[in-house]
Amino acid sequence: MDKYLLPHKGEIVKITQETGSNLNIKTFRVRLIEEEARKKFKFLPGQFVELTVFGVGEAPFGFASSPTQEEYFDISIKETGLVTEAIHNMEEGDQIGVRGPFGNNFPYEEIKGKNLVFLAGGIGLAPLRSLINFVLDEKNRDQYGRVQMLLAFRSPEDMLYKYDFSNWENSPNTTVKYTIDEECEGWVHCVGYPHELLNEELDLKEPDTVFFTCGPPIMIRFITEELRNSGIDPANIITTLEMKMSCGLGKCGRCNIGRHYVCKDGPVFDLKQMEQMPAEF
Amino acid sequence: MAVLKVLQKDELGKLLEELKREFQIVAPVIRKYGKKERVEYHQVEDFSEIHLNRQPDTPPKKYFLPQNERLGEEKSGEPVVEPGDRKTLIFGVRSCDLKAIDILKPVFLDDDFTDTFFQKRLENTVMFGLGCSERQDNCFCDSLGINPLEDENVPVYMYDDGEKIWFHVTDSELEKFFTDFPDGDPEELEKMKKVWQEEFEKSAIEIGVPIPFPELVAFNAPFWKEVAANCLGCGICTYYCPTCFCFGFFWEKREEEIDKWRTWDSCMFPLFTKHGSGHNPRETQEQRTRQRIMHKFSYHPNNFDGVPACSACGRCISHCPVNIDLRVILKTAEKYLKDEEGVKSSG
Repeated sequence: MDKYLLPHKGEIVKITQETGSNLNIKTFRVRLIEEEARKKFKFLPGQFVELTVFGVGEAPFGFASSPTQEEYFDISIKETGLVTEAIHNMEEGDQIGVRGPFGNNFPYEEIKGKNLVFLAGGIGLAPLRSLINFVLDEKNRDQYGRVQMLLAFRSPEDMLYKYDFSNWENSPNTTVKYTIDEECEGWVHCVGYPHELLNEELDLKEPDTVFFTCGPPIMIRFITEELRNSGIDPANIITTLEMKMSCGLGKCGRCNIGRHYVCKDGPVFDLKQMEQMPAEF
Repeated sequence: MAVLKVLQKDELGKLLEELKREFQIVAPVIRKYGKKERVEYHQVEDFSEIHLNRQPDTPPKKYFLPQNERLGEEKSGEPVVEPGDRKTLIFGVRSCDLKAIDILKPVFLDDDFTDTFFQKRLENTVMFGLGCSERQDNCFCDSLGINPLEDENVPVYMYDDGEKIWFHVTDSELEKFFTDFPDGDPEELEKMKKVWQEEFEKSAIEIGVPIPFPELVAFNAPFWKEVAANCLGCGICTYYCPTCFCFGFFWEKREEEIDKWRTWDSCMFPLFTKHGSGHNPRETQEQRTRQRIMHKFSYHPNNFDGVPACSACGRCISHCPVNIDLRVILKTAEKYLKDEEGVKSSG
């Protein structure tokens, strides 16, 4: 049997509707059914998984929960195509195929003792949440320095993980800022695109800081440009890329950027690496 | 110890009957499609069908990576019964196609994710190589450092001089099949190979492009527009290619079960890389043609010890409906990359 090509069976144990009606994002909590598979399934922040809807197809998704939650994992999914639509139509108790985990991970070991800045746009917060919850976990919190977050959404309707916000805000030595694209009634936080707010809202000058960003490609581009202009070392700017990863093994040929296979060498890359890669993503 | 044996062509059946006791025999045979005759690898029962006179139209890749391969039952997680233990002998594989299988090995036998389907097939297969007595339609293996008259990795390598077939046997376990046949004169074989070799040299083309192509310089080169201008994106080059290994999954419902299959796919197709969101990193044919060539001559050799993912069999050239010629692409790249190098060193 080829253990990498056929999925384990998972059960959807909880479905959370994250956003309002305008951007349909749900978070699915999945628990592997077989005990042995569950014990062996060890993922790290930044990795991804291939989910199968039986009879429909398979698609890649980043982990949105911290591996410190051992019994299950969360995947946040925006309805965009065939597979995501089929997943959105599923109910608690339904079964789903799980292949993985695949890919590299955020350098959670190397960043110990450093200050961290998280810059997220929309559902780009999902893979960062895995690392955020890992770093802010009581067991780990004292191993990391100051944590700053700037979380961008189109509108208050499009926010996800609202239920996490108070935990994050109340975590020691942690500040969380929120921004939306346009002013709206009742909104007391920032307004504007995140790259315009970086210098104003965050303390970028603190030494020994590592930046993590994920969001729409255009946001990643503007943010990384802004950070570079502020003199940040590109090796300290880390993002996670998305391609049409299918096999997860670095073989099927869909997700390469130059010689790098996003499913195996990525999805986590730092800006220094990305500057050496062909611009084809 | 190697032995050299010579068989008259009409004795070939006798040898293969013996080999058939241990192996199922696959060899190039002629198949007619309407008026068109093609030479393809098939399992043979009637050995008089075997056709060694020219390069088969399709490579033997399908015996290692079948075009469609059932991986298992998706719901129960039951894998398929792996390829059986019956050993297969592929008879008469030319150096280019032998090299192509070598190119696939590190991809599918990597330490991280060993592909057990490929592995099992490889373990259960023996190939008898076949030297080329003349250059085939559009091949240029010698330009990429492949020897059309030798291969050290196969247990038996053959030479067909028109009347007799010479067997250079380097595996002692296979020697038993050859004991009834007379020894050949190594000097006579060497003389013959030398004549063939000289003919190859006369028609050789020089490929001086650096392999791997420097990734960023070649990727950003302007010549891709010109190279890909005629490309229809039909993908025929990838389906004939002995080294192309891109694949996709598909699913087939069978009563209550769903079978997961793997099938050859092609980087030349626009949907290959298209995201669910609609975004496509390789949206134009120019980008996709660049991907195929860059993968073979830059990305792959960068990842696998400098070895390009091409054995220069020439089939993509023979079968391209719009006459795109890999040799021309390589010469174009060579000129551009050398000029670039010149500009850099003078500037």
